[in-house]
Amino acid sequence: MAYLSMGEAHRRITEYLNSFSESVFSQDAASLKLLLCFSSNSPSLLSVADSLNLFQDANRLIKQSDKYSQFGEIIVHLFRSLQNYRLGHSFDAYNAYEKAANAFIQEFRNWDSAWALEALYVVAYEIRILAERADRELASSGKPPEKLKGAGSFLMKVFGVLAGKGPKRVGALYVTCQLFKIYFKLGTVHLCRSVIRSIEAVRIFDFEEFPKRDKVTYMYYTGRLEVFNENFPAADHKLSYALTHCNPHSEANIRMILKYLIPVKLSLGILPQDWLLEKYNLVEYRNVVLALKSGDLRLLRAALDEHEDRFLRSGVYLVLEKLELQVYQRLLKKIYIIQKQKDPSKAHQIKLEVIIKALKWLEIDMDSDEVECIVVILIHKNLVKGYFAHKSKVVVLSKQDPFPKLNGKPVGS
Amino acid sequence: MNQAGNTEALLAPPGTIPRELQNFSDANSGQPTIPPSIGSEVQWNIHRVDNGSVQAGFPPNSIYNYQTHTQLHSSEGMNGSTAASSSTLAPSTVPQDYSAYSTHQNSTAYGYGTTGYTSYYSSYQQQTSHSYSQPIPAYPNTGHPYQPLSSFQNTGSYAAPANYSSTYYNPGDYQTSAGYPTTNYSSQTSSQWNEGNYVNYSSYQYSNYAATSMGAYGSASTPAAPLHYQPQHPQYYGQSNTEVTCAPGTENLSASATTKLDCPTPEVTGVTWDYSATSQPQQTSAVSWRPEVTSFQPLQQPTTMINGAQDGHWNYGASGFTNHQSSAGKPEAYQPFDTTSVYASFQEHQKSVASGTQGNNLEYHTVHQVPQTNQFPSTFKDSQSLDSRRVSKFQIQTNPRIVSNLGLGFVKTEKAGSGASTTTKPAYVSVSLPNPSDKVLSNDASHSALKSGTFPKSLRGYVERALARCKNDAELAACQAVMKEIITSATADSTLYTRDWDTEPLFPLPSVDEANKVAQHPVSVPTFRRSPTRRAKSRWEPLQMEKPQDRLAHVGVPAVKSGGWKKANKREKKSLGVDSESTGDRVDSIKLSNMEQNVAMSQRPFKRQRIADKPTMMENGNASSDSDKEQSLSSYYSTASSLANTPEERKRRENRSKRFDKGQGNRTEFYHHHKTKDAGVENLYTRRATAMVMTKKLDNRGSESVEDMDWDALTVKGTCQEIEKRYLRLTSAPDPATVRPEDVLEKALAMVQISQKNYLYKCDQLKSIRQDLTVQRIRNGLTVKVYETHARLALEYGDLSEYNQCQSQLKTLYAEGIVGCHMEFSAYSLLCVILLSNNYRDLLSLMSRLPSDAKEDEAVKHALAVRAAVTSGNYIMFFKLYKKAPNLNSYLMDLYVDKMRYKAVCCMSKSYRPNIPVSYISQVLGFSCASSAIDENEGKEKDGLEECVEWLKAHGACLVTDNNGGMQFDAKASSSSLYIPEPEDAVAHGDANLAVDDFLARVSS
Repeated sequence: MAYLSMGEAHRRITEYLNSFSESVFSQDAASLKLLLCFSSNSPSLLSVADSLNLFQDANRLIKQSDKYSQFGEIIVHLFRSLQNYRLGHSFDAYNAYEKAANAFIQEFRNWDSAWALEALYVVAYEIRILAERADRELASSGKPPEKLKGAGSFLMKVFGVLAGKGPKRVGALYVTCQLFKIYFKLGTVHLCRSVIRSIEAVRIFDFEEFPKRDKVTYMYYTGRLEVFNENFPAADHKLSYALTHCNPHSEANIRMILKYLIPVKLSLGILPQDWLLEKYNLVEYRNVVLALKSGDLRLLRAALDEHEDRFLRSGVYLVLEKLELQVYQRLLKKIYIIQKQKDPSKAHQIKLEVIIKALKWLEIDMDSDEVECIVVILIHKNLVKGYFAHKSKVVVLSKQDPFPKLNGKPVGS
Repeated sequence: MNQAGNTEALLAPPGTIPRELQNFSDANSGQPTIPPSIGSEVQWNIHRVDNGSVQAGFPPNSIYNYQTHTQLHSSEGMNGSTAASSSTLAPSTVPQDYSAYSTHQNSTAYGYGTTGYTSYYSSYQQQTSHSYSQPIPAYPNTGHPYQPLSSFQNTGSYAAPANYSSTYYNPGDYQTSAGYPTTNYSSQTSSQWNEGNYVNYSSYQYSNYAATSMGAYGSASTPAAPLHYQPQHPQYYGQSNTEVTCAPGTENLSASATTKLDCPTPEVTGVTWDYSATSQPQQTSAVSWRPEVTSFQPLQQPTTMINGAQDGHWNYGASGFTNHQSSAGKPEAYQPFDTTSVYASFQEHQKSVASGTQGNNLEYHTVHQVPQTNQFPSTFKDSQSLDSRRVSKFQIQTNPRIVSNLGLGFVKTEKAGSGASTTTKPAYVSVSLPNPSDKVLSNDASHSALKSGTFPKSLRGYVERALARCKNDAELAACQAVMKEIITSATADSTLYTRDWDTEPLFPLPSVDEANKVAQHPVSVPTFRRSPTRRAKSRWEPLQMEKPQDRLAHVGVPAVKSGGWKKANKREKKSLGVDSESTGDRVDSIKLSNMEQNVAMSQRPFKRQRIADKPTMMENGNASSDSDKEQSLSSYYSTASSLANTPEERKRRENRSKRFDKGQGNRTEFYHHHKTKDAGVENLYTRRATAMVMTKKLDNRGSESVEDMDWDALTVKGTCQEIEKRYLRLTSAPDPATVRPEDVLEKALAMVQISQKNYLYKCDQLKSIRQDLTVQRIRNGLTVKVYETHARLALEYGDLSEYNQCQSQLKTLYAEGIVGCHMEFSAYSLLCVILLSNNYRDLLSLMSRLPSDAKEDEAVKHALAVRAAVTSGNYIMFFKLYKKAPNLNSYLMDLYVDKMRYKAVCCMSKSYRPNIPVSYISQVLGFSCASSAIDENEGKEKDGLEECVEWLKAHGACLVTDNNGGMQFDAKASSSSLYIPEPEDAVAHGDANLAVDDFLARVSS
């Protein structure tokens, strides 16, 4: 590299230009995307970048031929971006790349067929990756990181190009997923709504016709959104879809899906097998599951405490916290079973003080009003069938199915 | 072609205005277009009367003509509507108007005096006010146009030339505006579309026009006139051609529109003819005047779509005209109109700055001419002569249009009631509408909208004065509330317009007002120039700023009465409509103040006209009939006015005016601020200077974006030593003399902290402290303290919006590492999210961002516990926490208590059987103290119990009394009967703190 001659640099640049224009003319998206994909760090691209840094007058080359100059808007910026990318100037690289991408979008708009979708995917991906790097650079120099936001609005533009009727719509979901990634990263999740609406409300395109890869990503993110909204059945549906359609070999992805799917399933009363947690390294859920099985409130609280940061960051803390009621239910059920073994005729009456005592064993100190309140809530949420007699402080359980199972329905439904 | 270029440039500005106004028109949805029609209608009535008197013997003919015309017009109207839509100015509104119009014609055409007619009037009456307002906006720049009129009048041997000239030449207006029109125009010229519309009109009409003009001239036997005319036309023609190319598709449409316009003109001509028939020297002069005026009218009509009415006029005029011609004395009448001198002066004006306006006028004229040619030739040979006159008149009219502003001035000054002046008003109105056809329409509409909502100027002044008195926000708000009351009551008993607000008790500040008057006038000019740049930023503001100012410049100068003027200036910025009305008031402040303004505007001109006409009528021997008709007319008007004042209409107007209140409020504050600042200074010049500076600053702010500002340069070091200071929202760069330095602010904070006054006072003081900190860019412990103090006070008072402001500021301040009660406030923000927004994502991010040490803090722990209680629905826990809440946490929890209680009771009703004692509920739901405290607080316990019972009953719980006399909550029965009652203090805007009564009560306390 150090001995790159001027002639060699010239040759490489011309080669790049040639392959660019040729791939466009022959509508060869596969080779075009290689020319756009900086983050692949492919040796050929890197060598072109070195050549550009050596051979400063690439613009002249572009203008030399009509073949190149008609893509001048794209290539000029692309070259500048590539140069900066090679030099590690992420901010400048992003800015130039966005300009090139804008020009590319203009061209893309004019192409009737969707042949260049693959290349567009690369552009959308690159713009996000470059924006993230640029933001890192900005943040480290104390400036407000705003490039990812800019990438978001650029991708919205791309989405607008694709979202209409026609063959290009197939690509809309990919861009949507890139947008999701940006929005989730930025914490501006509410912006997802408009995109989702346009994907789901419009009946001009069957969702199933989108590429599987995009469908899985889409379902994963929308499922996470449903978790935020505490809409567990919907979250379950979407995340399950993602799980079943996910490539079984990409374990990282499966783990990501399970990270949300497990709490959702838990809150619907469905517990995972231990090997699953083991296999996908989700052991933080193990104690939670155990607590649910045993009615051990203390264990649940400890598990939540232990992984609080992680749960808070992933956003499932509140979901897991709500499992407390199910743990109480389990506890009551245990008491009921024990009473039944002792005296089946009086098993359906549980004295409040028994519950308090049980909680004391778990080293949870609650006064009778509080426990009464919990029981009342359990009855109210339909986790326990029966009623509470205030005067005698007794829970009177229904003789039939006193502890109904959730069976996939959320608590309180 | 130089002229052409100029005219185009000049013309463009008016177009720009309309665009902005379009917003208004849209909002009004079609109403705007109607308003102009009112003006025309009014005229129409008058005409009718005149015709009737004059034409007595010719009723059949007139009717016949009328019908045919109406039909023609209706078709034309359709075309016109389409044209308007094509032009894209206010397509939706225009068509509606047309349709309404056509129907109208049908009914009206056949039975003038019928009830249907009155209804028609009533429906349109609202609009009358609009029409008036319209002229003003369109004419702001027309200082020059005025001149042509004056010259014209003089040439025509105007009856009261002295008055006129004096008004016209009033130093104030004229001088101020002198350089002004050109600059304004040039700056504004951005709208090509205006030209396009314009062009269309001119092109079509032009061909017709040339022919007609020639013929007319020949018949008229005034050689000089034709000559003048033709030269002008070529120029126009050229313009039209070039412009036409721009919008080829619209040509046809425009043509139709022009035909409409034409209809109105005939009417005018008829009037003029009548005068000529009387053939007295004065009359001739009057005639000349009228033509001008009439020219305005035609313009209006097209916009209004009231062509039908106009047609009627036209026919009448024609018939009357023919009669008159036969009677003789026509030639005389002709000459005055055609008089080349006038024309020449006109042309000269065109060349000058005014040329732009003339261009507009000319176009209109051409339009008018076309219709004439069509209709007249067939029916009346003499009509051609009329046409020629019309042509000339029209051209003149174009000037009037410019003059329209002048017209207002005229009216004012010339209370004498010269026929010409009266006519000018209507003409004025019409003029504003016509040339834009498309654009103008939008303008008019917007203007009308503005005006409709407006209150009497005097009332505005009254309100302003009242508000100026307020020393702080609280008072201000209270004052506003009171004012609102007053105004609504006034509207209710319809004294809103009749009451003399200027003399109403509150605060007379006459001397200041007058001083301001003069000072403010100059101000308008600079702002005007800047307006274009501002427009680019927002369409909204420029409108407000510009128009009032323009109008002020024109009207204000001539206006002798300073008091109203100054007020107008102040408010000005608020809304055009108000100004226009105010100007009108000024004009006839004496007489008209008693009348409802909307109607008054329309009525005035007519009445005067009638008076002026009377002599002529008398000569004809028709005077008596005329007077009768006058009576009927006046009754008409009264009904119309009453209709215009229907509650709905009033409400609408109020709403519309309210739209501008925000801007107004700021402005007033701004001005008030200045006043107080300069309190002692009576020097007019200083005032003017400051005003100029202020406007400049304002302009700068408008044209510069916030990012462009050099904040460092604007950072001030305060010198004010006053500890107490009212909060006023800054509208300009801060003045160091009114900003307190840090040490004074510290004292101020201490003062607020120990102050015994109510929250509103403290809030005001704290806001002013915050402002001073901000403008001096002080960000340190004191800043944090101030915000913390304010946030706490706001929490205690329940002023969440203020609290949120403080909280967000504190967040950034803490993030900057400034020490404060960080934990306390993170607890508050946690509680806020938990209890108010209930947004899980926000909550999660808040929780995940809590520093680890925060969880050890008492307040944060409490907040987190509250969160747990809320999410699990654990009411026992919640109310336990409620009772031992640290800091002000309980104030935030207060906001959730009711919800929590309701949830709890629902839960209980489902889970408990059979009953629960109410005492238990009262205890666990925080109504009364825990059981352990019963002994000491027997009375309190009872109160809590009673409160609990009441609350339960209010929420539909079923209570039963048990054997021991204790109240029991019947869970099963209640489970189906619980509901959340409507909050008693609910207010439409959702913030009970802003409810007027409550607010006033608190302020007074």
